[in-house]
Amino acid sequence: MSTDTDSALDLDKLFTARLQAARARPYLATALFALHTVESRRVPTMAVDRHWRCYVSPSFVDRTPVEELAGVWVHEVSHLLRDHHGRSDRVARERELTGPGERLRMNIAADCEINDDVFGDGLVKPEGAVEPASLKLPTGQLMEDYLRQFQLGPRTMELAWLDCGSGADGLEREWELGPDGAHGLSEQERDAVRFRVAQGITGRPGSAPEGWRRWAEEAFHPPQPWRALLGAAVRSAASAPGAGEDYSYGRPSRRSAGVPGTVLPSLRRRPPHVSVIIDTSGSVSDAELGSALLEVAAISRAVGGRRDLVTVVPCDAAARIAHPLCRAEGIPLLGGGGTNLRAGFAKALRSHPKPDVVVVLTDGQTPWPGSRPPCRTVVGLFPRHHPRTTWDEDDPDYVPDSPPDWARVVQIG
Amino acid sequence: MPTRTPFAMPSDADPLSPLDVAADLLTMLRTTTTEPRPDIQLEALTLAVAADLPVLLWGEPGIGKTAALTQLAASLDLPLTTVIASVHEPSDFSGLPIVGDDPAEQGVPMAPPDWAVRLVRAGRGLLFLDELSTAPPAVQAALLRLVLERRIGALQLPPDVRIVAAANPRSSAADGWELSPPLANRFVHLQWTHDHEVVVRGLGGTWPRATLPRLAPERLAEAVDFARRAVCTLLAARPKLVHQLPNSESRRGGPWPSPRSWEMTLRLIAFATASGVSRDVLSLLVRGTVGDGPGLELLAGLDRLDLPDPEVLLADPTAEELPQRGDLRQAVLDGVVAAVRSRPDRARWDAAWALLVRALETGAPDLVVVPATTLASLRRDDWDVPTAIENLAGVVTLSRRADEAAARAKTATKVRR
Repeated sequence: MSTDTDSALDLDKLFTARLQAARARPYLATALFALHTVESRRVPTMAVDRHWRCYVSPSFVDRTPVEELAGVWVHEVSHLLRDHHGRSDRVARERELTGPGERLRMNIAADCEINDDVFGDGLVKPEGAVEPASLKLPTGQLMEDYLRQFQLGPRTMELAWLDCGSGADGLEREWELGPDGAHGLSEQERDAVRFRVAQGITGRPGSAPEGWRRWAEEAFHPPQPWRALLGAAVRSAASAPGAGEDYSYGRPSRRSAGVPGTVLPSLRRRPPHVSVIIDTSGSVSDAELGSALLEVAAISRAVGGRRDLVTVVPCDAAARIAHPLCRAEGIPLLGGGGTNLRAGFAKALRSHPKPDVVVVLTDGQTPWPGSRPPCRTVVGLFPRHHPRTTWDEDDPDYVPDSPPDWARVVQIG
Repeated sequence: MPTRTPFAMPSDADPLSPLDVAADLLTMLRTTTTEPRPDIQLEALTLAVAADLPVLLWGEPGIGKTAALTQLAASLDLPLTTVIASVHEPSDFSGLPIVGDDPAEQGVPMAPPDWAVRLVRAGRGLLFLDELSTAPPAVQAALLRLVLERRIGALQLPPDVRIVAAANPRSSAADGWELSPPLANRFVHLQWTHDHEVVVRGLGGTWPRATLPRLAPERLAEAVDFARRAVCTLLAARPKLVHQLPNSESRRGGPWPSPRSWEMTLRLIAFATASGVSRDVLSLLVRGTVGDGPGLELLAGLDRLDLPDPEVLLADPTAEELPQRGDLRQAVLDGVVAAVRSRPDRARWDAAWALLVRALETGAPDLVVVPATTLASLRRDDWDVPTAIENLAGVVTLSRRADEAAARAKTATKVRR
């Protein structure tokens, strides 16, 4: 589409824009400076490959104002920082998406993820940037979510020329220099740059917007599926020495054959008793309670399938009766209003036989017991997106205690 | 009644039995070739085994962990002993008591299992503990001693025995336990993944053959020095990194920093330096020993150790090449300006200007703006402006144009709101 193919790349203008971008977003400076620019007449605007090279069209630089170029710089580097090429490859494998059309969709989805929150505040949105709104999609989602919600069609017609390179969608272009070309960053170097940027953001969290802060937190510690974590936490609590396992003289040990005349105890597992305290206060929704109950059933299977060994204590401001799980799924989850998990703990620990493990399913807006209970504790914590809606309306600044150190905490959802 | 079999019936002229034919077919299927192919997973595994550190391979079932171990054992010329940890009792690793004639006099020896005896008799070998994460906690506790002290019952494993373990990640280990933090801290954790291309090509008959790292004898002293400097520089500046028990659920069972794992890291850096493997291999190893966060900080520190020393550059601005990569180049320039600030004198100030001019001539101009501004502010009244500054006039223009663009952007984004 470029007509003036003779014009040389205006490096001064390009680097002026980069300087402005680095001033507007100081926490991205390291990543911006790590990009190696390559002049290319094959790319419509600017594009990146997965080796952190940035391909620039000279005519695009000529016709674009500096402040818009700065926005494009930040946009392109965001593709790389957010690992859109790696994520595109993974999505393509998981959902078996093949062909250039799908890669174009990934590029559009990745652009949506970036563009809904990087511009503004001293950074101009470049002409023609894709936004979720132009596809009639909500903002604030991830590329993988956007990808499910639109198809190529009339609405994306004018985006067909859109090309942010293999750094955005994982598909190698023939005009790219490839892994063996000069000035590429190795995987370790790419991780190091991303790490330094993430560290800069978490070190000074005030200056970066929410989206970048979340990225920085999760860049090297992606969240894990909570079901697996909760299951592992309960299993490990229930099977740890002292909980469900001990030496017993009830059966002779395997070793006894080698030691005639002596009786050796053998290590025997007895199925552990688990008490599940469910927070039924008004701050926990019915949907959350439903999924909590499902988890209770799963936990009962995880500790050996003995449903009679799992007790459920619904708890709001006062703990009610402890129900054995074997009495069908119809445990009445009474309650509403405030929570006091101390009552729930007291109730669970008073029950007979004493629990080996206490599992608490709560949103955490509660006072916790002051001292460590005499058994292992696992807390499944429902996320609270609106910290303002605390249970104490008289004191809007009230922040509930976080779960105590002695509990293993798993974030649910 | 079937009267025909799918195999050719043996006759006098054809003495082959059906099983012989089947054996021929199996032999043909097994005949594969190898091709050289860089494989950083395997390089990392080899290096850690050479450094005599226990390695734990994390990977989904059936992706070739055992095959990799077989290849490693063959290339290191070590006999391979495989023990499935999850089907053993704790006593299989701590020893079974055997009563002699007079227990009060002679005591009760703890007899080791047969595989351990064979391993000790051979004097060398690769011990592969499979299915570690599905071993119950009591077995894991018994394994602690095997992995750390290399003892099984009364037997001491010889120094030439190397230990590698494998585990399935929690997501795929349906009834798995997690690794306890003390056991996790004793291993170098390597994520074992399969490469789609390698698998397809391998099933087609060509498996990859990695070139294994070799230690260069003449680089040993330098390697030890470098490794000590790298780890000590980081830990002196960041005392918090020395010991951090994993506190979040998702990091449990993985690598975490402690004096023990830092010592392992030190050893790995020395081995990596002496064998000259790539930073990518070292990155896998270091992050698998102390965890991602501390590991990446250490690697960032290594990158800085590789940068030219500001004092050398100030003594002679043309002495060393400036790095090509923009972010590293800016780190060097910032370092030089900081060195001038810490000990300002006229000659050093001039040398820094000369260096900035050189940076401008050989690279992107926007990198020079911040160091130049800072350096200008360090000027004393009796210092004349060096003539070199004229060459930096373009930088001033660049900076001014960026300011103007920023002002326009500010109004534009304000209007839009």
